[in-house]
Amino acid sequence: MAIAVQIPSPLRIHTQGHETVLGQGQTVGQVLDDVTRQFPELRQRLFDGNQIRRFVNVYLNDEDIRFLDNLDTPVKDGDQISIIPAVAGG
Amino acid sequence: MHGTMQSEHSHEPSSGLATAHESATPISLERYSRQMKFPGIGEAGQRKLLASRVTLCGCGALGTVLANLLVRAGVGFVRIVDRDFIELHNLQRQVLFDEQDVAENLPKAVAAARILRRVNSTVQIEPVVADIDHTNILDLIRDVDLILDGTDNFEVRYLINDAAIYTGKPWIYGGCIGSHGQVMVILPGETPCLRCVIESAPPPGMAPTCETAGVLAPAVHIVASFQAAEALKLLTGHLEAVNRDLIYVDVWDNVLRQFKISRLKDKVDCPCCKRRQFDWLEGKMGSHTTALCGRNAVQVAQRSATRLDFAELAQRLRGLGEVTYNQFLLKFHVEGYEFTVFPDGRAIIKGTSDVERARTLYAKYIGH
Repeated sequence: MAIAVQIPSPLRIHTQGHETVLGQGQTVGQVLDDVTRQFPELRQRLFDGNQIRRFVNVYLNDEDIRFLDNLDTPVKDGDQISIIPAVAGG
Repeated sequence: MHGTMQSEHSHEPSSGLATAHESATPISLERYSRQMKFPGIGEAGQRKLLASRVTLCGCGALGTVLANLLVRAGVGFVRIVDRDFIELHNLQRQVLFDEQDVAENLPKAVAAARILRRVNSTVQIEPVVADIDHTNILDLIRDVDLILDGTDNFEVRYLINDAAIYTGKPWIYGGCIGSHGQVMVILPGETPCLRCVIESAPPPGMAPTCETAGVLAPAVHIVASFQAAEALKLLTGHLEAVNRDLIYVDVWDNVLRQFKISRLKDKVDCPCCKRRQFDWLEGKMGSHTTALCGRNAVQVAQRSATRLDFAELAQRLRGLGEVTYNQFLLKFHVEGYEFTVFPDGRAIIKGTSDVERARTLYAKYIGH
């Protein structure tokens, strides 16, 4: 199934400007794998090896995946994945 | 009064109004009547605000909005700490400053205090022109109830986080870039801390800064206004009303969301709030900055070494100034300074011998 992944504006240079991209998969990890196959430059922004970078947080709907089942968290139709990078400015 | 000023802890400049709070006359609450009409505040809440004390770390875009709102609301003591001077490109979003301040080359803390004393002469405002680091932060927060984040880099935010957890004082994180921003209230012992939620800072060059990605004033104002609202709740004792989620806003994408983070407190084995390791407060982490004698240059070195991606950094900086790089170093010319950046994050900034200026430049262009 296709799950919507919200891309924050600083990372959209790696998704050809798309604010939302669709990824196939049964888990958060599979969906992100599919999305980063479509947009390879996004891979190294989000991942350090197979782990999400420590300054990037991934939410499934409104919950941080770290207190779900991390990248193994199952997804279902209508779910939304949001990528929230650390914001330094101010 | 510019150039040499370091701190105004003991000698506040300008008018006698600055000491009006010390007079014996009871302070009229009339000026706060509209705020007191609001049931969440009331007269009791207003009196709590007048008796409350905050330290504002950083007085740029977020900081000027925060200072403005808190002083107008009648927070009794506001210490404004900032290391920087006002430049023309600040005026687009830093609401307390004007062209005259730029012409006078005023430190931000001093200019902010000057205008805010005209806004509300009945509260105490203490400007401090200083770089916040592990040697002074505990002193800067020793006598306050709340710490507010108006900074622009993670190095000082992790330091604030350490100091807040160490002393048990609440603080309110705010961050902003482009059209979006985030807000989070940290209540030591109750909510996750900054390191629970953002486990490490983006390595230098990996995240955009306001200088490389731009920033919209409305985004900053919304973020700071959320911070100020949380501050009012905390300072009036309305803990039940405090927002314990991560607030996420994007004024261009039309997004306003809240992400649940409260459970992270139990889930994450946080080095700071769980294991009480205060790496920034102890000076083990953060940039190690030294003036290079006789070279009109300052070295800014990252102690936590991370490899820089020069291609990525060059792409980010191009358009701001001349950039060249090879496998050993990256050269970048901007504002009359020359940056020489090394793969481990270390940089030599030529054109200044001012350590604080160099740190500011590093945060602006290389980021952290």
